[in-house]
Amino acid sequence: MDSINLSHLQRRARLRYERARWVRGALAFTPALVVVGVAAVLSKRPSSALVLGALMFATGVTLLWRGQAVGRAVLPGFLAGLIPLSLALWANLTHGCTGDHCSSLCLPACAVGGVAAGLAVSTVALRLRQGWRFWLGAAAISMLTAAMGCACVGYTGVLGLGAGFSVGFAPQALRRVFASTS
Amino acid sequence: MPELSDLNELFGRLADGDRRAFTPVFQLLWPPTLRLCRRMMPVEADASDAAQAALLRILERASEYDRHRPALPWALGIASWECRTLRKRNERLHETSESTPESDDGASAEAQEQHDLIAAAIEAMGTLAPIDRETLLSTYWETASTASGATLRKRRARALTRLRNAFRRLYGLD
Repeated sequence: MDSINLSHLQRRARLRYERARWVRGALAFTPALVVVGVAAVLSKRPSSALVLGALMFATGVTLLWRGQAVGRAVLPGFLAGLIPLSLALWANLTHGCTGDHCSSLCLPACAVGGVAAGLAVSTVALRLRQGWRFWLGAAAISMLTAAMGCACVGYTGVLGLGAGFSVGFAPQALRRVFASTS
Repeated sequence: MPELSDLNELFGRLADGDRRAFTPVFQLLWPPTLRLCRRMMPVEADASDAAQAALLRILERASEYDRHRPALPWALGIASWECRTLRKRNERLHETSESTPESDDGASAEAQEQHDLIAAAIEAMGTLAPIDRETLLSTYWETASTASGATLRKRRARALTRLRNAFRRLYGLD
């Protein structure tokens, strides 16, 4: 048995382990591609939705591959991101008119949805007593998911989403920071 | 050095993506996997191959591990399946090589077998009386013998029976 090179075997096993995690992550996150497709069809800017969707998918798969806290953050982040995405896609189909002036509801929908998503992510993270990796992972996936719809008015929509998200996210995040320092 | 009792916890961490648990899990799993494969595979080299393949498979599937189940039986279940698969593959290969003697490996094995049989026959011949040896050799080489006719046939029959008995006594087969 001395002829068996165990360190070589361990390296091979590690490669297999990592490869299996990539495949598993990609398969687990495949349903998100349906959301990307729906967002691309309903969005005013399908190319932006597709680019952001691809980025969201790649980020999600990477986080699932890494596992632990960031892996656990993917599902809550994605679900939270669906709130502003749904609102933004709904806003694409309608508009608000006052008198003879009509305007898109995309920006307010993204801002309001962002607040809701930020609150959702921070509440889940706080309830589950997760560390900063979970907060970051969930926030990233949530923002990228929502950004597919919020690109309806260009970067302004994404900025509105970010501002809303920060408003919803910050209080709980600060609460956690102060709780951990005291 | 990690203990086997830590395996459940370590496997749970590895399934969750904690890479620091990888080396301890590898170190803990290798000896029982090798032992299992040695019990299941008749040839040592095959057992070693099977154990390596099994360990690769176990660690490939580490993320599927359910932390509510004991890790060692789960891992050894995968290993035994891997050993069984390899054993069946080897048996199929063996059957194929037997049915195609034209192959190089088959021909050399057959030549070796022939060589062993001749050596065994010569060994058995050495135990016979000189008269029996002479009778068999003259029959083989078709040379003239001291006897002829019915006497030669009887001598030949007796010598062959003694050679067969000697062969059976020495090697336990005809």
